[in-house]
Amino acid sequence: MSPSVTKLAPAVVIMVGALGLGGCATKGYVRDQIAPLNQRMDALEAKLHDTDATAKQALSEAQAAGQAAQNNGQRLDQLNARVDGIEQRMRENENRRKRPRN
Amino acid sequence: MIMMLLALAGPALAASAPKRAPASVAPAKKAEAKVEAKVETPPSAAAVRVADWITASRDNGALPYAIIDKKDASLFLFDAKGKPLARVPVLIGIAEGDEATPGVGTKNLAEIGPAEKTTPAGRFLARYGFAAGKQKVLWVDYANSVALHPIPPTASKKERRRQRMLSPTPDDNRITFGCINVPSVFYSKSLRPLFQRKGGYVYVLPDTKPLEAVFPRVRVQGPTSAAQL
Repeated sequence: MSPSVTKLAPAVVIMVGALGLGGCATKGYVRDQIAPLNQRMDALEAKLHDTDATAKQALSEAQAAGQAAQNNGQRLDQLNARVDGIEQRMRENENRRKRPRN
Repeated sequence: MIMMLLALAGPALAASAPKRAPASVAPAKKAEAKVEAKVETPPSAAAVRVADWITASRDNGALPYAIIDKKDASLFLFDAKGKPLARVPVLIGIAEGDEATPGVGTKNLAEIGPAEKTTPAGRFLARYGFAAGKQKVLWVDYANSVALHPIPPTASKKERRRQRMLSPTPDDNRITFGCINVPSVFYSKSLRPLFQRKGGYVYVLPDTKPLEAVFPRVRVQGPTSAAQL
């Protein structure tokens, strides 16, 4: 073993030890940093859940509205038919109006 | 009321030409304008009696009214308060009679028989309404298609309605199918403005029936007014 290696060995050991100790500190740091992110993610997840529920409700309401609109459309068609009938009867009455005996 | 009716007839007498000139002599339209001031005879006892009764009983409510004396072929116009406004000659149904044949109101003119062409007597609430052809007429008896209007332009010239209206005698004033024809100037300037909004009452005196049979309530009024004529 050369004398330079003997001199360098403790330095290397110290460096490796320092790096090992530094690695442990980085994990804690990361956990600390991740914690608020986790909270935010939880909050976002809860919001997403709410939004999903709202969207589902909106979809359900939209479907109901669509059904109601369809029913109204059918009723309008029926009413149109009735109005046409009434209009026709009015025209007939118009033609049937009395004539004075001059 | 008698005085009022006489007063109505008075100026008319004064303003009128000596009797009615033969219609063929005067231009018909010009003469018609003067027709309101052309009635000469005093109002009949029946007309006076009915007028008295209406005034006394306020039978007209708050509406204007007209009394049509078929025998005299005259129309007396009153406002809602009973003030006499005009007296004009009229044309009435060619047939004498006070009833309308059942169903006559639904017939076409060509289908109406000679005996059916009566102007029914009675008390009618007359109102403006639509008739065939979108024309608006003053319906007197809607059920029987009796209306009050000027001489229709579609009337046959052979009927000489204008001349009949202008003639001095009421005898030739029976020519219509049942409607009551009045001078057009009188219709547009006097009658229509008065009856247009809410209508009015038309009292048609009878030809053959007793007055009391057509207007039972005149009994209450008694014959005194008529006797005073």
